[in-house]
Amino acid sequence: MSPRYVIGKLGGSLATLLFVVVFNFFLFRIVATDPVANLFRGRNLTESQRDELVHEFGLDGSLLHQFWAYVQQTASLNLGRSYSTNETVVSEILDAAPATIWLVGVSTILSAVIGVALGIAAGWRRRSKTDYAATTFTMTTYSMPDFWLGMLLLSLFAVTLGWFPVGGLQDPTSTATGPALWADQAYHMFLPALTLTLAYLGEYTLVMRSSLLDTMREDFLVLARAKGLRDVVVRNRHAVPNALLPVVTLAAINFGFVLSGAIAVEAIFSWPGLGLATYDAINGPDLPMLQGLFLVFSASVIVFNLLADLLYAWLDPRVREA
Amino acid sequence: MKAIGGFFVAAVLAAAIVALPGGSTASGQEGGKNVLTIGMLQGIDSMNPVRGVTVAAYEAWNMVYPTLTDKAAKDFGVIPGLATKWEGSDDGKTWTYTLRPGMKWSDGQPLTAEDVAYTINRSRDEEWLNHSATTGNLTATATSPTEVVIKTKVPDPKLPTMDVYIVPKHIYEQYDAKALTKWNGQTDVAGGTYQLAEFKKGQFARFTANPNFWGGKPSVDEVVIRKFNNADAMVAALKRGEVDFVQAVPEGQYLNLQKDPDFVTLQGRQGGFDEFAINMGDGLKKPHPALLDPKVREAIAHAIDKKTIVDRVLRGLGEPAEAVSPSANPDWIPDIPEDQRFDFDLEKSKQILEDAGYKDTDGDGIREMPGGGQPLNFRYAVRSESDPSPRIAEFITGWLKEIGIDTTLKTYDDGQLTEVIGKGDYDLFVWGWTPFVDPDPMLSYFTCGQVSSDPDDPSNYYNDANLCDPEYDKLYKQQATELDPSKRRDIVHEMLTRFYSHAGYLPLYYQGDLQAYRKDRFTGWQKQPADIGPVLFSNSSPSYQTLKLASATTGGASGGGDDGGGGGTGIIIALVAVGVVGAGGLLWARSRRASADERE
Amino acid sequence: MSAVAAPSAKRIAWLRRRRAAAAAWSDFRHDRAGMIGLVILILFVAMALAAPLIVPESELRAINALDNPVWASPSEFSPMGTDSLGRSVWAQFVWGARISLLVGLAATVMAMLIGTVVGVAAGFYGGRVGGVLMRITEWFLVIPFLPLAIALAAVLGPSLTNIIFVIGITSWPSTARLVRAQVLTLKERLYVDRSRALGASDAHLMGRHIMPNISGLILANTTLTVPIAILSETTLSFLGLGDPTSTSWGKMLEDSFQQGALTEQAWWYYVPPGLGVLFVVLAFTLVGHALEGILDPRLRNAPTE
Repeated sequence: MSPRYVIGKLGGSLATLLFVVVFNFFLFRIVATDPVANLFRGRNLTESQRDELVHEFGLDGSLLHQFWAYVQQTASLNLGRSYSTNETVVSEILDAAPATIWLVGVSTILSAVIGVALGIAAGWRRRSKTDYAATTFTMTTYSMPDFWLGMLLLSLFAVTLGWFPVGGLQDPTSTATGPALWADQAYHMFLPALTLTLAYLGEYTLVMRSSLLDTMREDFLVLARAKGLRDVVVRNRHAVPNALLPVVTLAAINFGFVLSGAIAVEAIFSWPGLGLATYDAINGPDLPMLQGLFLVFSASVIVFNLLADLLYAWLDPRVREA
Repeated sequence: MKAIGGFFVAAVLAAAIVALPGGSTASGQEGGKNVLTIGMLQGIDSMNPVRGVTVAAYEAWNMVYPTLTDKAAKDFGVIPGLATKWEGSDDGKTWTYTLRPGMKWSDGQPLTAEDVAYTINRSRDEEWLNHSATTGNLTATATSPTEVVIKTKVPDPKLPTMDVYIVPKHIYEQYDAKALTKWNGQTDVAGGTYQLAEFKKGQFARFTANPNFWGGKPSVDEVVIRKFNNADAMVAALKRGEVDFVQAVPEGQYLNLQKDPDFVTLQGRQGGFDEFAINMGDGLKKPHPALLDPKVREAIAHAIDKKTIVDRVLRGLGEPAEAVSPSANPDWIPDIPEDQRFDFDLEKSKQILEDAGYKDTDGDGIREMPGGGQPLNFRYAVRSESDPSPRIAEFITGWLKEIGIDTTLKTYDDGQLTEVIGKGDYDLFVWGWTPFVDPDPMLSYFTCGQVSSDPDDPSNYYNDANLCDPEYDKLYKQQATELDPSKRRDIVHEMLTRFYSHAGYLPLYYQGDLQAYRKDRFTGWQKQPADIGPVLFSNSSPSYQTLKLASATTGGASGGGDDGGGGGTGIIIALVAVGVVGAGGLLWARSRRASADERE
Repeated sequence: MSAVAAPSAKRIAWLRRRRAAAAAWSDFRHDRAGMIGLVILILFVAMALAAPLIVPESELRAINALDNPVWASPSEFSPMGTDSLGRSVWAQFVWGARISLLVGLAATVMAMLIGTVVGVAAGFYGGRVGGVLMRITEWFLVIPFLPLAIALAAVLGPSLTNIIFVIGITSWPSTARLVRAQVLTLKERLYVDRSRALGASDAHLMGRHIMPNISGLILANTTLTVPIAILSETTLSFLGLGDPTSTSWGKMLEDSFQQGALTEQAWWYYVPPGLGVLFVVLAFTLVGHALEGILDPRLRNAPTE
């Protein structure tokens, strides 16, 4: 993986990020009808305070001037204030981020692991019952709205059976800290994590399966079998590692995407992460929050795509010399 | 496969073991403390009584701030608070209150007449939203640490009741007028039954008993007010034992809880009502021109079937209303004479509109302005934070469609809607009020002075009818100084009947707060007013002074113990099942591999 | 001397196409999964189209449901029970199918049109134009769909046309990428060069040579894009960004969540719309895969699985 390759990819990502910032500006400042009123809604300001802020946000200049001011603000991480809570957007996002990162992180790992296992079972035994069962199962979970699956799980396991809490991050009455607190949070995270895992493992299964099938046609496997190596060994030592490559990159990319895709699921489970913050911001609408969240989501996808590219290049010897 | 499978099963079982201790979610008792957990759908918008307006906030202030006089649970009668006795001058314009000696704030600072005088005078000077209706004409002087003299400029029928929140001078004097309106009010200094311990906006607020409360430290050690985003989750939490008390229970869940012997359900009536409001145009922006015509408003008023709304949306848990209810005491509501009422009559509505010239000239089912101009399409604001709001909208827009009026729905959260109303960017909405005991504040909300008038501060108003009626204002001033109770009542009745006749602010129903609590946790719940009132979120929330742990709790560590244990057991069962299935799958896969292969 | 005149070039071409279509249909018929999908699709589309005949639209209005019990289970009020206002869930399901399918198809058509135009232009012209178009395409691919859709919908406001627009404008990139790749391959084919040598115009090339050869691919890809559009509409409606005045399956899920169907254990309100989405999406996916196998020129020449 040459430095030129890395810099090339980095540059591309930066350009894309810049594009997102520009897009954000146009969407919320231009398309939204009254930018001045929009930015200062919900705040009680005196005349002079208002003038000061208008100048600070560059709203008293030409379009170009405004745009430049906006870029500067974004670069210094000044994303405005939420309409509903009046706290800064940045602080709200930082508060909500850990919950989502945990939920999505755990779900991504679980769905990758289980999905890969299923994909291997299906691909290695093509056309077998295992294959059909796995493929059918994953196609089904992939075809349903993920939050609907969440509703089903919530109603069965939390409401009807009472085995799990109906929502939230933790029990607010408990003053537990350390492992007891983590255990409580894990307990609350079980159902939403299960929902996301089931919803997304299909992708890994299908990718792993077809990747395995492709790999199985490769010459070196024929050679290995001809040498008389046991099936299991052929599979585990040779086929699977090569087939895993696309899965790893898929997981990296997915992490970025699912971060933003868990909105409805977080709403169902009242999970206080970025998704729930988005859900709350839709009513209003709380435009500064939406704008800030959009930026964060896009940035995370861009970053993880970059990581995936670099990871792929690093792992796949064929790409390294490119 | 074996490796991955084994690792997977091991990880799952490890998670199960770790998750076990988290299974117990008992509230009621936590390491020797007893905690009252309250669930609600609304959040506390601000701990600052100068700024906030929500019901949740009032309850928090009831807990944290003391009042000079308190209110009896039975009938809101004036009883001792910070003051033990009071005496009025002959002309009723001077009242002298004697305070208890040696009182302290929760931080140990002395609580004296200084704080009382400071609160009254400053709230008057700076026009604090929740105080100035009471203190606007008052001047207070602390003649000694235990005596305060309150003088009123004009005769005030509310005295000697003095139920404004007394704030700690040594904290509030750190903020000037501007800073005070921006302050979030979060301080642990308190003079009421509880002090603020932790505040997580939008999630929960935790209060601990104030050992320096003048009435003695309350029996319940901690109170947690926990916000839920969704009524299902809240009621399920009540059933699981995660919360002890819930309010604003949606009708369906309430009816279910009613049947359950483990819970007490009650409709806490305090004069609360919901109204259908039309933008009357006296604010910053005018509504759709048709709405400025009283005939159109009358037609709309005749097109709303309040009984159906109560039956279908509230599942019968309410009472159809006519006039505004300005007080928790129902005596203040006038009886609108039969011939002046807007009864539900769709034919009449259509007739009124036809006669006034609003006909459907292009046959699309929607009427236009007289002469075939702008179609009658009104902007209807729906509250996202209200459970019945979208359902009421479903009915009202249906009836309006029947009489030839179209609507465009827009959903807002409460903060946004407050501003939208202030700016006048709407035509119709449904919202509600919970009045105080004295009718004065509620009546003041509809005066000309309370109409939103500053485009740079559009949320600073109370008059959400956007109506300015000078005659109403005149009557308001009269009742504000009328010391004869029955004369005062007559004036108020006249005001409200007149207000009703504009057909622009139509109360839909009187409704109690649907509350429910577990039977097995706490006792000492007090209804205010007696028999029909709520036990918490009442006017002065006297329950906090009398609540205590119920004597026989099932098995020490948890009233919710069985739920908590069920939770833990649940995880074990679920994960063992997963493990068994996983193991079974492994075995099955292995056996298949051993048999003849199926290759491509 | 011959009794029948020699058929024209046009007629030959048409006969050839008909035979190809018949062959494709025969292939399709043998794909069991594809047939199942097709049957399911036909059932749902028929139900959606025939909605006014199945259940009168007035049953969707709460003011017309005053005599119905609220939260009635299917056994108390057939066939699918009622919601918190007594409205028939079956009526919502049937009429909801209309909007869900309509939005899905309309958004897909829009995405397909944009994607095809961009893909063909990018592949055909190459060079700077192609480069710029591909940059734009890649950018759209990187932006996470849901936040973009939410941002657009929040600014534009919830309405039927806006939802179709939002989904359409966010779904075209994958089609564009696919089409461009295929166009590039086609460009290498000899007959294109020959045509150019003969002096054929761009339009002629695109119309006669490129388009017919990618139409199969587009059809297959379109069929696979519809599920994404339907799932998107369901999610956006659930979040409250759909048209507030009309019913769709996503709106039913939103209503059930807001009205407390979970605590009421009124499974009949949230299970059917989810199942509806599931089946329709599955059906389109199965049909799409079958079509892919038949029409995608790349797969046709690949070693059979």
